[in-house]
Amino acid sequence: MQRFNFPVVEPDPALEELRSELQGFLKEELEAGNYRREPECWMSSADPEFSKKMGQRGWIGLTWSSQYGGHDKTALERYIVTEETLRAGAPVGAHWIADRQHAPMLLAHGTEEQKLNILPRIAAGECYFAIGLSEPGAGSDLANVKTKAEKVDGGWKINGQKIWSSGAHMCHYMVALLRTSPADGRNRHVGLSQIMVDLSLPGVTIKPIIDLSGDAHFNEVYFEDVFVPDDCLLGDEGGGWKQVTGELAMERSGPERFLSSYVTLETALWQLSGKMGSDSKARLGKLIASLRTLKGMSWGIANLLRQGVSPETEAALVKDLGNRLENDLTQQVRAMLIDLPSEEWSSEMRRILNIGVLRSPPNTLRGGTTEVMRGITARQLGLR
Amino acid sequence: MINTEGMVAETATKIFTDLCPREIPHAAEAGEYPQALWDALQENGLTLAWTSEDNGGFGADYDEVFGAIWASAQAASPVPFAETLIANWMLDQAGLAPADGSASFALSGHTPSADIPFGMHADKIVLFDEAHQEIAVFDNREAARSPEEALSPDGMTQFIFSGHVAEQSAKTNLSRRAIEALILTVRAVQMAASMEAALDLSIGYVSEREQFGRPLSKFQAIQHQLATAASESAAATMAATQAASAIAKHKVDPEQAWHEAVIAKVQIGHSVEAVTVPFHQVHGAMGYTQEYDLHHFTRRLWAWRDALGNEHRWSKLLGEELAATAPDQIWKGVTTGEWIAS
Repeated sequence: MQRFNFPVVEPDPALEELRSELQGFLKEELEAGNYRREPECWMSSADPEFSKKMGQRGWIGLTWSSQYGGHDKTALERYIVTEETLRAGAPVGAHWIADRQHAPMLLAHGTEEQKLNILPRIAAGECYFAIGLSEPGAGSDLANVKTKAEKVDGGWKINGQKIWSSGAHMCHYMVALLRTSPADGRNRHVGLSQIMVDLSLPGVTIKPIIDLSGDAHFNEVYFEDVFVPDDCLLGDEGGGWKQVTGELAMERSGPERFLSSYVTLETALWQLSGKMGSDSKARLGKLIASLRTLKGMSWGIANLLRQGVSPETEAALVKDLGNRLENDLTQQVRAMLIDLPSEEWSSEMRRILNIGVLRSPPNTLRGGTTEVMRGITARQLGLR
Repeated sequence: MINTEGMVAETATKIFTDLCPREIPHAAEAGEYPQALWDALQENGLTLAWTSEDNGGFGADYDEVFGAIWASAQAASPVPFAETLIANWMLDQAGLAPADGSASFALSGHTPSADIPFGMHADKIVLFDEAHQEIAVFDNREAARSPEEALSPDGMTQFIFSGHVAEQSAKTNLSRRAIEALILTVRAVQMAASMEAALDLSIGYVSEREQFGRPLSKFQAIQHQLATAASESAAATMAATQAASAIAKHKVDPEQAWHEAVIAKVQIGHSVEAVTVPFHQVHGAMGYTQEYDLHHFTRRLWAWRDALGNEHRWSKLLGEELAATAPDQIWKGVTTGEWIAS
């Protein structure tokens, strides 16, 4: 029995043409000094100017209709764009999350007005979204969210706090999972709704959280009597939990779950050219075999998305395998680099490797921990 | 996913389901060879699936036959089906008629002897003699067969070629890499199928076995072990699928598929411990008995990961190749499976 569904995609010359265009653009921008290559770029390297350039070239909003500013392409084209920008370590963090999960949510659950108002701005690379799930008391146990939206005349009044909100300081909106009515006894999945909150509203306070490397990319977001009008409700009142399951599948589905550190390997390959010893070659062979295999699985997920299937279990499984691989990659590169005396490492190599080490702990946390991923897989196996 | 549709795969699946229930591999280990199963495979022409129509075979698509091989491994079938398919393919590539009966194969580099999988049950041995670019057939029935201490229940014998005269031989254009690509891909399919079959067994066992008043499956420690093993099995299936697709795509030139086949070998070989350890762990002592089915899969996995050299050897071979490849081309390989610049 083949338990999981990772459909193989036949090669398509049009996709490879798109890939070449991307490569050309990314090379030009790099050579013009418009960005520095970094691991985990989709999370920690954001530049609105770069996002706008990508928007102008039609590389954001690929999967949705031109009626909403999109480009009528499929999840496969979007995959090529994400894969190439990850490889380049380009500053794609500003638009990444809106393009990945909030736009598809708006398409699935939004009103016509919401779609017409927001989606073209996302596609232009001008409108950014923050994830509004975690709270101080709700991490892996997401259903424990306490932030409330209380029904008032003409809208909702929000009080509470979200945390670990990546990029909230530069985002225009947050889609927050909020309690709009009490839990039904032990069933906490009822009474949750998603509301799109304009982060410039009075009563919203965004405070940076400094990470261990000194970067300030994530935040605490406080809501104090924040009033949002009725038309900010996203989808069904009380349907938040079900919508969030779909959102998380999107969040976990992409190549950023295994390719975030590829830039470290590629930098090392240039450094080690002609100097690799036998041990390093064996490490390289094993790493590339894993990367190629994960690519097949991740590409299969893109194909499921193209077919309109929510890849909940497949995404969880690939995220678990992929997070382990991308952290292992950094460690394997450290081992391979013993073939070169450290005084001969380029400053670029040192910088990228150190960033990779510093940014490795959250890989197995964000978007759902390894333990949560294994729980999802175990449920699919019929064990829980 | 490995394609299990099409006439060849479906016929094979039916034969393995009907004639290779779980008692068959047990009986084979007790010395009772499943002749009826073998006869059915032969009578339906399945051992000639990769033999061209000119040589009396099916000339079936590579793709469809991988589905049949998947079915044979899921049933832990103790007959040299995959070996005969490969041997007959080698013969066909040299313009020789298929083997009369069952067959196994060997690749000679520089040594006069070789380890033969299923050596006790193969009528013929097909040798690729690299030095002379020749495919040669030897009669294995008359050879002194000394079973080696084998990991696999299918057994392994040594064959010393220097004492034997080939029944037939012919020159071939086949490269060693082309043959390696096919063999490694076949083994990859068998290994992925075995992992998934052993996963099914493990899930069944932990769902029934109770300790501390509840099924083992309800313990998170057990759930996470099997979730990890399931992920590795799914990765193995993907690696095998990509190798099989590459062979199917490059039909006339299987050497083009070498990288994808080696990748499958390396990926799957390295994941064997990651699956067999949890499979045995969750089964407790029961999984270590001959009476239970698990070892039909795990022992074959241990044997197949060593076939043609183990995963460490192939990681190094692949790495040597990649170290001499431009980083741009490596990226192209990772993303598209095209490893050789066109």
